[in-house]
Amino acid sequence: MKRINATLFICLSLLSLSFFPGRAPADPAQEVLVAAASDLKFAMDSLVKVFSGQAKDVKIKLVYGSSGNFFEQISNDAPFDLFFSADLDYPQKLEQQHKTLSAIKPYGTGQIVLWSSKLDPSKEGMNTLLQPSVTRIAIANPAHAPYGRRAEESLKYYQLYDKVREKLVIGENISQTAQFASTGAADIGIIALSLALSPQLQKEGKYWLIPESSHQPLKQGYVLLQHAKGNTGAEKFAAFIGSPIAHAILEYFGFGK
Amino acid sequence: MKPLMTDWQPLWLSFRLASVTTVILLAISLPLAYWLAYSPRRIKAVIEALISLPMVLPPSVLGFYLLVAFSPSHGLGRFLDKWLDVRLVFTFPGLVVASLFYSLPFMVNPLLSGFKSLPPALREASYTLGKSKFTTLVRILLPNIRSSLLTGIVLSFAHTIGEFGVVLMIGGNIPGQTRVASLAIFDEMESMNYSAANRYALVLFLLSFIILLVVYLVNHYFSKPQPLT
Amino acid sequence: MTQPMIRFEADKTLLTSFGKQQLEIAFELEKGQLLTLYGPSGAGKTTILRILSGLTDIRSGRIDVDGETWRDTRLKINVPTRRRSIGFVFQDFALFPNLSIKDNLRYALQKGDNNQLMEELIELMELGPLQDVRPAFLSGGQQQRVALARAIIRKPKLLLLDEPLSALHDDMRHRLQDYIERIRRHYELTTILVSHDLPEILRLSDEVIWLDKGKIRQHGRPEIVFPSHSLNPKIPGI
Repeated sequence: MKRINATLFICLSLLSLSFFPGRAPADPAQEVLVAAASDLKFAMDSLVKVFSGQAKDVKIKLVYGSSGNFFEQISNDAPFDLFFSADLDYPQKLEQQHKTLSAIKPYGTGQIVLWSSKLDPSKEGMNTLLQPSVTRIAIANPAHAPYGRRAEESLKYYQLYDKVREKLVIGENISQTAQFASTGAADIGIIALSLALSPQLQKEGKYWLIPESSHQPLKQGYVLLQHAKGNTGAEKFAAFIGSPIAHAILEYFGFGK
Repeated sequence: MKPLMTDWQPLWLSFRLASVTTVILLAISLPLAYWLAYSPRRIKAVIEALISLPMVLPPSVLGFYLLVAFSPSHGLGRFLDKWLDVRLVFTFPGLVVASLFYSLPFMVNPLLSGFKSLPPALREASYTLGKSKFTTLVRILLPNIRSSLLTGIVLSFAHTIGEFGVVLMIGGNIPGQTRVASLAIFDEMESMNYSAANRYALVLFLLSFIILLVVYLVNHYFSKPQPLT
Repeated sequence: MTQPMIRFEADKTLLTSFGKQQLEIAFELEKGQLLTLYGPSGAGKTTILRILSGLTDIRSGRIDVDGETWRDTRLKINVPTRRRSIGFVFQDFALFPNLSIKDNLRYALQKGDNNQLMEELIELMELGPLQDVRPAFLSGGQQQRVALARAIIRKPKLLLLDEPLSALHDDMRHRLQDYIERIRRHYELTTILVSHDLPEILRLSDEVIWLDKGKIRQHGRPEIVFPSHSLNPKIPGI
């Protein structure tokens, strides 16, 4: 009898330790939860670093993902304080749903590039996609990623869409798309300029800027959300984004105005 | 900018989530499996199918439906928020509830097979000796399905640790609260910080492996055929 | 006692390898007597034991034991198994694998019961040196004795033995028949036994019911039911 549940007893003791929660959360007034589209990865990391140097009492927590996903979550009252979308549509929809706290402000215009670690896309531009060595082309999901939509538009503009359709590999969001390209799983990808400018991708491959005339402009905006009411840290960070130094950082990372 | 040491929070979150889920699942699944094993009602087949449903649904789909179901904007979510001040979306308790759905079949099914594999005469003999159903369960049935119990615990724990789609949707990947290890690893991979991703993955793998190894070793030790008590 | 110890009337549909069969039985049994149920497979013998113990239900009928009604379909009385004073030896013994012999016996005891009977039985069954051993390590004959001891440790009003000796060889069989006899006399247990073995039946029974296709073909003292078989143990066609 004594021996019978020894294993279970050990298991349950170990498990019961976990009922004690981890460290207590920091003072919520100074924590800011930011939802940022994945193309902002490097720009935002940099912005947060600079901001934190100035405002040492504010803690910014970043979550990167696809704008479409964030939209779904924020519609369902996800506790984000700020939303940086890869377009203006999603913030506008949230505004209609009364989930926003401030007006939508633009932070830049997204641009798309051809990027490859294997080929030099600048030689033939869009026609690189027709090369026989290109068997897989990565783009972000046009259904819910703004960059994906623009990529699709460009392909159609250049009348390449039907020709390359079967070679397309769809990334969940723009950074997964970049990952497909950078790991070589896709021979070439249509990704955000901001990601192509990151140190890693600069080192690993080459890019070619796809002419803006081939797609709808990708104006990108950010907005304070209802959850941020009373959160001075969030307001400070939002204000910081409008500052000249923030603009300079954004421009550096490819978010032209 | 990138921390040299791995951030332990996602790992701790994952283990907490898996542990809490497993304990609660055990409490829920025992009566459920018992009923499924021994009840004569025909509705059993329906219940069994429902229980196994989470195995068939894509995890993100499950997560999405749970998100909508528990959203504080309407229905059940609003009731919970308004009257009980409880939010099941984008919180750790929400992850637990989602994991309960997601891992339920992994606890119920082994227990159910365990009960079914016992000769019916064991139960009957206990009743003929004047014992109640509860006493029979605790003193005869459970001790004889120990390996099924262990399987259920291990499977549920492991399954929950590996959860991704469900927690992403209903958790929101919030650092410190719902960013579990699987999401953290994925984030690092997406940011192309492969070395950080590898570090997390390795630690997760090692810790999980050690836990499982300990559990199996203890089980082997205690289930060696013992002639004498 | 003017009233018989057991009065049994039952009606039930059995599913056998021969198809559906109606079980229609009625009998009475005096206290302390041993009744053997005999007949081909599927005749309903084990079912009767299960009905008496409440493990199987009937369509209609009535069971009275020692003045208590255990089952009455008309009055909707159904005493659950655990409240019937029975001891059951299953065909496969059903010993609890996780408990030692001693604990298997102790399990049957209630709080407050003293261990005296348990120790008596262990001695009677010659299980002393084995009492801390688990069933899996015992021989068939040893397990048999444990099952028997466990069934009677509560001093049940009715002892039900389902082919308890069929798997044993002659020598062991004889010894266990001795045990059964000894115990039955010692504790005055009313017993119903299922058996195929004629010498055994002749040796132990006060009465025999020969069941066939769910109905009683013959019921009476063993010498009368099997007049020509007092020496020949084998029966064809079982």
